Amino acid sequence: MGMASVNTASEGMQLCIFDLRRGQQEGQELDKILFFFPADLPFATQLSVIGLSEGLITFTRIFSPDAACEVIEAERHSHVFFEAESDIWMVMVVEKSKESKAACQVDALRKVLKEVHSLFVLFHGTMRSMLEKETSGGLIRSHLYPFITDYLSDFLIGKKLQLPSFHDCLMERGTVQMLTVGREAAIEVQSLVKVLECSAGTTSCYSLVLFQDLLVSTTLSPDDTISLFTYAVLRLTPHALSSGATSWSYLQRTNAGSQVPALSTITNSGSVSDNIYRSRDTSLDQDNNCQVKRPLHHNRWFRGNDGFLASDIWGADNGSQTSVTPIVYLQLTEERMYLCAYQYKSLTIILLVPVSSILNGEQGLSLVKQQVLENVCVLSVPASLKMLRVEEKLSKGWGGENAYHVSGYRYLLVDDERVSRASPPAKVMTLAKDSLLAMSKLREEVNLEKKAKCSSSEVNCDKELEICVRAKNGAWVIARTSRGKELYMVLEKASETLLYASDAVEKFSNRYCSGVFSLD
Amino acid sequence: MSSSDSSSSSASDDPNPKLKPQPLESQFQSSLTLEDSDGVARTDDASVAEQQQEQQDEGSGNGSVDGVVNVEDNGHRDSSDREEGIGSGEARDGDGGSGGGGGVVWRRANSEVELEVEAPASPSSSGYAGGRGSSGASSASRADDASEEDEIEVVGNDDGGAVGAPDSQAEWTPGKRHVDEDDASISWRKRKKHFFILSNSGKPIYSRYGDEHKLAGFSATLQAIISFVENGGDRVKYVKAGMHQVVFLVKGPIYLVCISCTEEPFESLVAQLELVYGQMILILTKSLNRCFEKNPKFDMTPLLGGTDVVFSALIHSFSWNPAAFLHAYACLPLPYATRQAAGAILQDVADSGVLFALLMCKHRVGTSLKVISLVGAQKASLHPDDMLLLGNFIMSSESFRQVTSESFSPICLPRYNPMAFLHAYVHYFDADTYLILLTTRSDAFYHLKDCRIRIETVLLKSNVLSEVQRSTLDGGMRVEDLSVDLQQHTGSTSRVEDKPHTETPERIRESSLVGLGGPAGLWHFLYRSVYLDQYVSSEFSSPINTHRQQKRLYRAYQKLYVSMHSKGIGPHKTQFRRDENYVLLCWVTPDFELYAAFDPLADKALAIKTCNKVCQWVKDVENEIFLLGASPFSW
Repeated sequence: MGMASVNTASEGMQLCIFDLRRGQQEGQELDKILFFFPADLPFATQLSVIGLSEGLITFTRIFSPDAACEVIEAERHSHVFFEAESDIWMVMVVEKSKESKAACQVDALRKVLKEVHSLFVLFHGTMRSMLEKETSGGLIRSHLYPFITDYLSDFLIGKKLQLPSFHDCLMERGTVQMLTVGREAAIEVQSLVKVLECSAGTTSCYSLVLFQDLLVSTTLSPDDTISLFTYAVLRLTPHALSSGATSWSYLQRTNAGSQVPALSTITNSGSVSDNIYRSRDTSLDQDNNCQVKRPLHHNRWFRGNDGFLASDIWGADNGSQTSVTPIVYLQLTEERMYLCAYQYKSLTIILLVPVSSILNGEQGLSLVKQQVLENVCVLSVPASLKMLRVEEKLSKGWGGENAYHVSGYRYLLVDDERVSRASPPAKVMTLAKDSLLAMSKLREEVNLEKKAKCSSSEVNCDKELEICVRAKNGAWVIARTSRGKELYMVLEKASETLLYASDAVEKFSNRYCSGVFSLD
Repeated sequence: MSSSDSSSSSASDDPNPKLKPQPLESQFQSSLTLEDSDGVARTDDASVAEQQQEQQDEGSGNGSVDGVVNVEDNGHRDSSDREEGIGSGEARDGDGGSGGGGGVVWRRANSEVELEVEAPASPSSSGYAGGRGSSGASSASRADDASEEDEIEVVGNDDGGAVGAPDSQAEWTPGKRHVDEDDASISWRKRKKHFFILSNSGKPIYSRYGDEHKLAGFSATLQAIISFVENGGDRVKYVKAGMHQVVFLVKGPIYLVCISCTEEPFESLVAQLELVYGQMILILTKSLNRCFEKNPKFDMTPLLGGTDVVFSALIHSFSWNPAAFLHAYACLPLPYATRQAAGAILQDVADSGVLFALLMCKHRVGTSLKVISLVGAQKASLHPDDMLLLGNFIMSSESFRQVTSESFSPICLPRYNPMAFLHAYVHYFDADTYLILLTTRSDAFYHLKDCRIRIETVLLKSNVLSEVQRSTLDGGMRVEDLSVDLQQHTGSTSRVEDKPHTETPERIRESSLVGLGGPAGLWHFLYRSVYLDQYVSSEFSSPINTHRQQKRLYRAYQKLYVSMHSKGIGPHKTQFRRDENYVLLCWVTPDFELYAAFDPLADKALAIKTCNKVCQWVKDVENEIFLLGASPFSW
């Protein structure tokens, strides 16, 4: 796929999570390590990576107390830092390939860390709370290990981890991709959402509607939406379920064929670590270990007869055949919710039901599920029927995988850093490497400008910016930011003049961005 | 820079002898007197008075009372011995725990080492401490000058400087300030841009702010970071934290670090570190590496004694001198014939065994360097960076600047030959105009003096000096003078000269949006001729009036330059950039690079048209704004 590749060998990539509140005494240093990949790296090496990170966090705080170390750029490696929770740091050390030496997508790598953290929190709550629950650290280690290795396996192509590189400069991790729907369909979707909420019987349940790998509607907070959407695209949507089909979504570039051997690479090294962790955390009893759930485990979701998705990840309910429904944590309210996913053709509906509102566990929940499908409330049409209609409407209006391709343009549009739309990856791949490198570099510049702007004025982070670069190869590489929206564009076949290129942006803006980037 | 114990002498006004800075001048100025002693290294401590007396006798230094002409006794270096430059430094190091010699050490460097080692630095402090005092080099009392350089980040969002002071650049005081700070001081931590030089053993050599001695611990931390990464088989380039960037540059045994929150790109900062390193090489030559090979704990601070002022001036120039990032030099606009006349006499001199002859002048504002003419001996070419460093060295050292004095000092041109010393004869014709003659021979003082006299005669006769003065007063190209109709320009060869005086009523403002600057909202431009290694910059005019605005524009250009020349994928061809401050347009071709700043509301099409006109205008007057056909530049 042409992406900068990284060996899973210890040289290629390292990822560690450590807690600065732990292991501060001589001889206790190992205690601060919560996770290290690859786990079979000698402790001395692990400690040296963490030692350098910790040293630089302390050092940079001398000058920048509010924002400690974000990246160490060395000749051969980039160390990308992310303070996931206060004093809990994630550091990714990536070896630079010859190809991407010029432009390492530090921001994209940080978003990988951010993503895996938010997914972890979604299923397990914050790391800090887990550490507080079980202070030896055994619990969190036993959870982090499978979770992150499962997550990383999505980046495996063959035996190599393919982390974001300059090739991915026209996509934005950590955002949702929306389906554009017509007015009529939008009304249908609205009423479906109402029906869902009402038929679930509790007022505080939330829903998320996806069509293919695109978001149609959400009633969740933006952050929770992003986490759940990410998970859905990774594991729940029809694409995710039918492993083997190569997805056109960037969130899913794995294919089953290549996964198997690769996974075993990880699991092999995993067993080493399992031993390590077990031997270190003797307090952790067998039972505890067995209870570790792997929400990102591959190919563990399937569609049940009732149309609801089920998984054995969380085990089976005692006494009945039904599998246990997973529970997720909402970020803002820290509420615990049952995650129920229903699928009809391309339509995936995620319903979050408060755990507190269901008295008798799985039994109660299955009742709710049944109600959702069959109950006739306000609009005298059961939700199941509504879903049929919505699916039909959306399918009709759906332009296929290349629906958002605009010929002549290769673009990425980001709204408020939460929603993005981009040219299909297959189209982006037709760009010359030089164009991609130039765009990657330009995005870095824009990120810096944004950061500078935000740090200098707390009130208004919006940066009005227009940059048009004619690269060495003649391609126009363009960035525009305006009113919280960002547009990045590569025009390879545009004519020579700046005016022509600007005109092309203007047309695009008028047509697809309601004129946000138009000058008048 | 610890002063030598022997420098007990007169001018020491610092109560703390250990930390007393050695006046730079004392170390770099070579004594005319000594030249008399034809080549024999003098090891006795000629008393200061004696020397001064001698100088006076010498007659050339009429200002000798203030020690201007006066130099220490190391006068002659053996030019055949160039490579040895630093050797004596080592010798000295080994020699004196006393740390004596202080700054003088290196000077003795390339001559008869062992002997000179003995020579205490006494003469060194002779008249110069006074001179230095006047430059305020390291006196903490200057610390509170409200110059932008001192700005602490908290002060403002904008890294602008002294608020609103239109010409605050003039207020900039050379030399190190805030010596009372160290890494524990909040104010020190909040300085926007730190520069450090340290040795690979972690010994501090230079810090822009704060006292190096007090920063030993901090310095050791920097060293630890570098070597930790090095031990992992890698090399650290930079670390980012919030708006801060820590940039590392390893040059053999010398580590250079910049800690900045100025939003300058990494590439700019590392280029600045390269220049700081180059400045050090200019003073010491690269052979200092050998000192470290022999003794890893080698303390080179004495070698750089008194040069704080040189480094701080260089670092200051990073904020306003485009030469620092363009890697090009600027010429003083002059009528073609005038420059020809100057070039002819310099060429004459160059043919008589002078390696390079440079006639330079100081820019009206600030201390920017502009070339009037320069020639090199056959095949010798001078890199623009070397010119920047040489110019900075000479202009930042007070003693060179004394009008009518003459100085003879060893210097090394890092791009020309980092291992060897050359010898520079420097003479100021007037407050702004000076001549540099570079030679490989350490005994060429009198020859160069004769050359200078010849040059001076010709320059006076052909009115070059008065033309220079006129041009400095008139300034360079002004965006207001870019007329809309290009036809008016063609044929007006003396355009630049006459411009300020001629009215061009035909001039129309093209854009109604803009009431200031040139046509179509043009505010400023920089034009770099690739083949000539020269650039021309328009004069700052409204609305880029204040130093703060000028610095912001400078930074914007710098960013644009880096963006255009980004490694691996550059250079880009064109760039248009609009933000809340400007419209910037950049155009890079094999022949030239144009950087232009417009009103942020400027019309794109008009801006492009205007850029074309600027290029045409520059071509029309290139005879006057550039030094053409300078033979050494035919690389």
